[in-house]
Amino acid sequence: MTRYVLRRAPSALVVLWLSSVLIFLVLRAIPGDAATAMAGPDATPETIAAIRHDLGLDLPVVTQYLHWLGGLFTGDLGRSYLIGGDIADLVGTGLGNTVVLTATALLIAVLIALGLGPLWAATRNRWVDRVLTAFHTAAVALPTFVTGVVLIIVFGVFFRVLPTGGIPPKGMVDRLDITAQYLVLPAVCLALPVAGVLTGFLAETLRGELRQDYVTTVLAAGVRRRAVVYRHALRGALPVAITTLGLQTGALLGGAVLVESIFSWPGLGLLVEQGITRRDYPLVQVLLMLSVTVFVLVQLLTDVIHAALDPRIRLGAQS
Amino acid sequence: MTAAVEEPVEPVEVAVPERPRTFRRGKGLVGLVLVGVVVLLGLVGPLLWQWDAYQQIPGANLLGPSATHPLGTDDLNRDVLARLLAGIRVDLLISLTAVPLGALIGCAIGALATVNSVLDVAVQRLFDVLLAFPQLILAIGLAAVIGPGTGSVLIVVVSVEIPVFGRLLRAAVLRVRESQYVTAAEVVGGRRAHILRQHVLPNSLEPVLVQLALSMSVAVFVEGAMSVLGIGVTPPSPSLGAVLTTSLRYLDLNPLFAIGPLAVTAVLVLGFQLIAQAANAARGA
Repeated sequence: MTRYVLRRAPSALVVLWLSSVLIFLVLRAIPGDAATAMAGPDATPETIAAIRHDLGLDLPVVTQYLHWLGGLFTGDLGRSYLIGGDIADLVGTGLGNTVVLTATALLIAVLIALGLGPLWAATRNRWVDRVLTAFHTAAVALPTFVTGVVLIIVFGVFFRVLPTGGIPPKGMVDRLDITAQYLVLPAVCLALPVAGVLTGFLAETLRGELRQDYVTTVLAAGVRRRAVVYRHALRGALPVAITTLGLQTGALLGGAVLVESIFSWPGLGLLVEQGITRRDYPLVQVLLMLSVTVFVLVQLLTDVIHAALDPRIRLGAQS
Repeated sequence: MTAAVEEPVEPVEVAVPERPRTFRRGKGLVGLVLVGVVVLLGLVGPLLWQWDAYQQIPGANLLGPSATHPLGTDDLNRDVLARLLAGIRVDLLISLTAVPLGALIGCAIGALATVNSVLDVAVQRLFDVLLAFPQLILAIGLAAVIGPGTGSVLIVVVSVEIPVFGRLLRAAVLRVRESQYVTAAEVVGGRRAHILRQHVLPNSLEPVLVQLALSMSVAVFVEGAMSVLGIGVTPPSPSLGAVLTTSLRYLDLNPLFAIGPLAVTAVLVLGFQLIAQAANAARGA
């Protein structure tokens, strides 16, 4: 197992390193330079020079890069110019909110998939199959911003039963029932595409699993179909489900940005949106690097879990 | 005279070109109809509709739906339906130029990678890095550099599609190259370039065609998402995402404002998705 991790890790590190170079260089390639862009149209040359010095843009590029890379490890990320405060603090607060949102969404997605996937695979009712096919297509295809706005219109504007955005007012954050009210719409919105993809893959894998000989044997022995699906076939389908989930991280990260923007959820997504519109490049740089790091690490983790569950991969890849 | 002993010949499977029935029924047909309706609306709609997408109508500020303005008017006194119809054009333009362009570049790089193993490793790493950025994160990074606008949306869609098509074609070429008919062509002494052009490439293109339909829906998604994030098509240009974004500010006042762009986006994206599903199923059959 350790050997598998050791073999798989270097390529992830290479991707991370190349990404860091790319992010660093690309934001240096801004027409004019970052300082001019950040200072705005009517800034004096002195202001621009001051910002340039503050950002370290007057240093050689390699020094800048190493300084920035060092900051990523030590947490010394500099100050956010336009939003105010330490970038590390901003990112910390945002990260907490985003983790709460994505974790809830992930939980919802997994619950939906575990409920509907086996049902879809095992059903012999034509209408159940049709409804689930429609759900799957819609959930996979519809953009987050479409479902999000529909959710807001239905639950926030017509029925007025749920808040349409933001987080609980100060002092109510500890009340779980109120936090849940604010969390439910964005979390469901973020969960739907992941739930759709996961349900589809799970059902497909389960169908393949149900055609296996061992399933026929167990069924012949008199075990009920539902029990076979949940107790036997589901176990065989687990590695595929986990890989699928890992591959959805990208969609989840991008989706989080959109969902946070639509529902004004103060996480990293909202932060990155503010950073872009206000041209706060140091902040954007850190956020981009963070999201790539999460993405690459989750892929790595997915491969490792997959290998742990399926000996063929960790042994097969060795030869 | 010795009679030649007839060796039993194993039947050879020949691919018989079948008339494509995929799009005559079921998902394929529904998908084509959905996309067709939107395309028709975008092409003909702006010509027939009485209002212009940029025209500011005196006294018509944030009106609700009525006979003259079925979807109401926006904050700048413009007819929402006119903007929606013109917006469809912008989205179709982005989908129909950026996706094929990205596909072309991606396929070229992917095909090139299969020729040389050193090149292959380099290309694979490049794709790894590009794919390490989730679509929207890549969009945000690029928009930070080149600023918002239709051009940015185009560039983002192209950059998102390059690694997708590159990987797809590379994998397909590698698979097709191992197939019997390619081996047969090699045994007969076909030239390398001839085999690539005549056998490998045409047979590798199937998954690419399926991906084209999927990527069209991705392009519509990217356009809308970038507008929602404020880095998309710049005002006053209309687009599905731009109209939707404006409507978000007035959901309390007139929720129907958002229905137009929501419905068209949903229909377009679902249509492309269904076409891709049908094409994929036809491939497997």
